Amino acid sequence: MSATLIPEAGSATATMRRNFWQGVWRVMKRKPSRMAGVVIVVGFAFMGVFGPMFFPEHLPGNVEAITQPPSWEHWFGTDPQGRDVLALVITGSRYVLLCAAVTALITVVVGTGLGLFSGFKRGRWDTVIMRVTDMKLTIPGLPLLLVLATVWKFGSPIQMGLVLGLLGWGGVARAVRAQTLSLRERGFIEAARGLGLSTGHIVGKELLPSMAPYIAMNMLIAVTGAVYAQVGLFFLGVLPYESDNWGVMLNLAVFQAGAMIQPNALGYLMAPLLAILLLTLGIVLVVDAMDEIFNPRLREE
Amino acid sequence: MPEQAPGVRIGGLTVVYKTSAGELPAVRDVSLTLEPGTITGIVGESGSGKSTLALSLLNAVQPPGRIAAGSVEIDGLGDVAGLRGEQLRKARGKHIGYVFQAAQNSLNPLKTVGKQLLDLGRSHGVEDLPGLVREAKELLGRMGLDGARVLDSHQHELSGGMRQRVGIMLALVLNAHLVVLDEPTTALDMITQANILKIIREVHAERGLTTLVITHDIGVVAEVADRLAVMYGGRLVEQGPTREVLGAPSHPYTRGLIKAIPRLVGDIDEARALPGRPPTLTTVPDRGCVFRDRCALRMDVCDTEDPAAVPHGSRIVACHAVTVKEHA
Amino acid sequence: MITGSGIVKSFRQRGTILGSREVRALRGVDFAIPKGGAASFIGESGCGKTTLGRIIAGLESYDEGELVIGGTALSELKPKQRQPHFRKIQLIHQDPYSALNPTRTIHQTLHAPLSLRAKQTGRSKAWIEERAAEVLSLVGLDPGTVLARYPHQLSGGMRQRVVIARALTVDPEMLVADEAVSMIDVSLRLGILALLKDLRERLGVSVLFITHDVATARYIGGDGELYVIYRGQVVERGPVDTIIADPVHPYTQSLLSAIPVLHGLEQPGEQPVVPLEPLDPGQDETGCLFAGRCPFRGERCTSERPLLQVTEGHPQEHACFYPERRSVIARPLSEV
Repeated sequence: MSATLIPEAGSATATMRRNFWQGVWRVMKRKPSRMAGVVIVVGFAFMGVFGPMFFPEHLPGNVEAITQPPSWEHWFGTDPQGRDVLALVITGSRYVLLCAAVTALITVVVGTGLGLFSGFKRGRWDTVIMRVTDMKLTIPGLPLLLVLATVWKFGSPIQMGLVLGLLGWGGVARAVRAQTLSLRERGFIEAARGLGLSTGHIVGKELLPSMAPYIAMNMLIAVTGAVYAQVGLFFLGVLPYESDNWGVMLNLAVFQAGAMIQPNALGYLMAPLLAILLLTLGIVLVVDAMDEIFNPRLREE
Repeated sequence: MPEQAPGVRIGGLTVVYKTSAGELPAVRDVSLTLEPGTITGIVGESGSGKSTLALSLLNAVQPPGRIAAGSVEIDGLGDVAGLRGEQLRKARGKHIGYVFQAAQNSLNPLKTVGKQLLDLGRSHGVEDLPGLVREAKELLGRMGLDGARVLDSHQHELSGGMRQRVGIMLALVLNAHLVVLDEPTTALDMITQANILKIIREVHAERGLTTLVITHDIGVVAEVADRLAVMYGGRLVEQGPTREVLGAPSHPYTRGLIKAIPRLVGDIDEARALPGRPPTLTTVPDRGCVFRDRCALRMDVCDTEDPAAVPHGSRIVACHAVTVKEHA
Repeated sequence: MITGSGIVKSFRQRGTILGSREVRALRGVDFAIPKGGAASFIGESGCGKTTLGRIIAGLESYDEGELVIGGTALSELKPKQRQPHFRKIQLIHQDPYSALNPTRTIHQTLHAPLSLRAKQTGRSKAWIEERAAEVLSLVGLDPGTVLARYPHQLSGGMRQRVVIARALTVDPEMLVADEAVSMIDVSLRLGILALLKDLRERLGVSVLFITHDVATARYIGGDGELYVIYRGQVVERGPVDTIIADPVHPYTQSLLSAIPVLHGLEQPGEQPVVPLEPLDPGQDETGCLFAGRCPFRGERCTSERPLLQVTEGHPQEHACFYPERRSVIARPLSEV
């Protein structure tokens, strides 16, 4: 009997995994909007990773055709140096998206980690961590960023993401802690303790999966937050000029090309805005599915 | 407004819920008469349709559910299934009092009981609000509580038994003469349960009510009800005078239920578990008897034909086996 | 054998900044549950029976007293060393819906404690699978159909069986069943109770049954002892059938009187005891704890607290100054 059971045991986890992805597929299929969201998000990811490869490092400018309105040749027109706006958006996406990804990762890892630890341990550690979190939450983010920008130039998207991430984990930590506190009173956590299962198991296998939809949602929302924050900073011009950054493009479109009064420059203004809008829309559409993906009951139905 | 206890005649009532598998019946072809001035108990497990049946009395079945067929005739009100909007809202407080499950969630945690009483009065256009408060205090006093203090309390300041009494007070204060109590003693302690049941009996007699008690606990019905109706899988399988049904149950489900109660005296090993499990909305068979999978008396006809509710003396039973035996 | 002596537990209720109120949940409780035996705690909610069960299962701390599990006095051990002893006592929760992790399949749920055990005892992976199937069969479930399911795909009764199966993975000496059937459909309750009874017989597991329903206590632990608990004190203790047939403490008598009578099958008892309403939670602490609700209280009751004792003519222990037999329970009509 035991001999036949060993391969079964191995394949059991594989079957489970397959079932999970089948479930995800089912959830996604339920609403066309979710599929659209996935397509948009995946599209942006592709754009960030591979997009810049299709363009030379310095985009060629055409001085004959500066600030052109959209046309078949230039879908969103050209900028004041005669470069294709679409190409600028695509090459600029890598910085924006990489930074956003780093921010989301840090927010979620630090926030979830501290929240879990705090909620699960309770007692003295909880008090200390939560006081620190509260203090952090009271620091106004934007002014601090402005001050930081004067001394630090955020040359790489990773540095930028790091700073935004370290500023953003407070809310997640508080929320995860609250969730942990309520979950740890549940019967199944108590049962796991009574069975003598390790803390690692309880936190990693019992608590985390129950919070997965929540964490995934926070992660996606952190992405949009990070995009807004950095685009905002560049738009304000407090960070060094980088011609293909979406924020800088908005800044130039408004203050240099005069998109507010110059219809020709409208494409220059609209392209980065549309990109941000589309990305946000994609994320919102995907977030809608998170609850169903991580809840077996909703997934299997 | 009816001044004495109204009678209720439920005829061929079917309530369906819309699910992904189409419209499924939670209550199927149920006919039940509540004689004026009696206490009727409906016993059933979860998914038996007992709460849905109770809600139909107020025509308060929420979408995705709807009353698909049948009528609920209440003296002085007519067919409730046909009432809509404002008429229905008025009927709910003034004619039919509804006491929700253990009254736990039916009180607003942010308002005192007194404020909620006044809200209730205003929404039903009661002009004499001081009179309403007087009436409420009297009712609470009748149930052994300090009326003034309870009206000044928030929900969290009251114990389970007190909340249940407040629920009964709110159901009766507008002078309703038909009262529906949904699981009136679930989550209450034994002694509190006994007190509440006593109160239900006494208030019923004093105010001249027609009372319907919905419960999963056969003991509760045995204590208070004159008539007992047993529901299973959306069907009313047996009804009759409580003592008769308990003393000599006809339907195999009723028999199994009574057998499954551990007793205080006698051979404890006589208690027998019912095999199988109760059906849910999606697993209830659409043809034949709903109980056949767990039934010891199962016959061929049970697979294909839904047994009709047939009167046997003072009893109405829906079972092929019982009908065959009667005619043999 | 699991014994406890003088267990005391207080909860601090949060009050104002000026101070908090202390609520005494247990006031020096003694109990003994023999190996393979049964005991039942009965009482109203808030009487401390659940707290006591949780203390015995190691899920709650206690302020004073001594627990002895299988001959080991726990006070001699450091908190970390107590864990393996407490593992022999498994709690079956009242609510089978929250007792299973909704995101994990039954296979995963059983696998975790079993693989821990396999690691400790050097057993193979195959043993884990075998044992998982075995414990499910023990509780009357078909491993083939249940293992791959998630909790939401099972009925309440099946979930409670899975919870029991999970407890069996660690080969417990005792199961603490805290109102284990109160959230389960009526027609399925007896099945779960019969299972617990069956496990007692087949595996020699002791069962501590915590309930407000005396009849179910009689079904599972008819051969064991009944502890009637009121406000953290055991007020009557003795063999189940003795206490049901001949209760002497007015509180026990009130509990038994409150059991609904199945009219048509039973005749109510001749001297039912109806207690006065419960007082405020901040009730009098001097004298007998039940004095405020007791219809038979005497002068001595309000000034002095009776202790659990055996008096002449009564086989059970009780904490009452004026013990008296009363016929309170309903009798079957066939007997009358």
